[in-house]
Amino acid sequence: MKMEEMSLSGLDNSKLEAIAQEIYADLVEDSCLGFCFEVHRAVKCGYFFLDDTDPDSMKDFEIVDQPGLDIFGQVFNQWKSKECVCPNCSRSIAASRFAPHLEKCLGMGRNSSRIANRRIANSNNMNKSESDQEDNDDINDNDWSYGSEKKGLWYLPFQNPNSPRRSKSLKHKNGKWGWSNGNYNNSTGISYETLGPEELRSLLTTVRGDLSSYPSLPCLPTRSLRCPQHTDEQRRTVRIYFLGPSAVLPEVESSLDNDSFDMTDSQALISRLQWDGSSDLSPSDSGSSKTSENQGWGLGTNSSESRKTKKKKSHLSLVGTASSLGSNKKKKPKPPAPPTPSIYDDIN
Amino acid sequence: MNKDAQMRAAINQKLIETGERERLKELLRAKLIECGWKDQLKAHCKEVIKEKGLEHVTVDDLVAEITPKGRETGFTMLPRLVLNSWGQAVLLPQSSRLLRL
Repeated sequence: MKMEEMSLSGLDNSKLEAIAQEIYADLVEDSCLGFCFEVHRAVKCGYFFLDDTDPDSMKDFEIVDQPGLDIFGQVFNQWKSKECVCPNCSRSIAASRFAPHLEKCLGMGRNSSRIANRRIANSNNMNKSESDQEDNDDINDNDWSYGSEKKGLWYLPFQNPNSPRRSKSLKHKNGKWGWSNGNYNNSTGISYETLGPEELRSLLTTVRGDLSSYPSLPCLPTRSLRCPQHTDEQRRTVRIYFLGPSAVLPEVESSLDNDSFDMTDSQALISRLQWDGSSDLSPSDSGSSKTSENQGWGLGTNSSESRKTKKKKSHLSLVGTASSLGSNKKKKPKPPAPPTPSIYDDIN
Repeated sequence: MNKDAQMRAAINQKLIETGERERLKELLRAKLIECGWKDQLKAHCKEVIKEKGLEHVTVDDLVAEITPKGRETGFTMLPRLVLNSWGQAVLLPQSSRLLRL
């Protein structure tokens, strides 16, 4: 140690620098060697040239710096004006509309199957009188839309024509359209005026269409095809009114309603005449007159005894009343309330 | 001369013992990469390999080709920096204290 101390102090800077240089050279050589070993290993393992790319692909992916293009050379709104040719119908469709068009064209997808089902159901409804009893599963279906596609004569302003509800006999909540917000007055609703003749016939022959308590809306019960608030008598008269006296009446479905078609002719004639009398009115008036009739008929049940008495009442109310909508609605349906559960039991 | 050689040997030994040499080595490597010495050397390597053929390159070939060039460029690129740090590392009283250990 002492010797080193002496030697250190005896050294001048130049010598120290020389020593430092040598040490530095040694270190550099070590680094070179290390680098050589790395390269040699890379060459032998085959990954030495991996980070190189050939000039051709370098040109392909060069950065683009032109106005209107991004750095990859793509145009911004390229797909707006592009048109595709449909392989099925060989029409050229806009790109953004291509997928929905294909869905309809090929017949695959939810909506097109619904359309097909609806057509089948409609054609079946022409032939048969009834379709199957269904579950209430699709009552809560959220496919309803308040605007629908244009269908010309068959335009239904509130109902989505593609929903599965349409395919099965148009069931709905009992007596009412189920809108608690009361928007039905704002031209949303099937009304007999807006239905075309074919749809009308199908509706009335299958669903026991009848006038509900709301103006000019058909009554479409949910659980069964027969709304307990209306009698068959009423249904028949409604049908005759809309479809003409030669309308084909649906067959009897249950034993309960066998009596319904034994009504007297006189009563039918009377009701028809009174219906005809009101047909000359404007739609608003006819709506109000119909509601008044409905109120009178809202009493009706399937029991034969109450039928006759209440029909007399209803006939009277037909001629007399033109207004008095809201007040009577709740009062009159009260008396027949007790018998209705029994009817439900029988039907179900 | 003997003294110098002795001196050098002694300093080297000290450096290794204290671990200072390793530290200096890492420092040097980092500096060389920073200044691009390694990339230069790699490009030179590629040329050599392309000349010799990929399959037949040996370590000795590489070493023989590359170390002289590496040494040159190393000296030209980082002489002062390292020497300065060298100088400080070696000449500062602290390191001399280390050397005395």
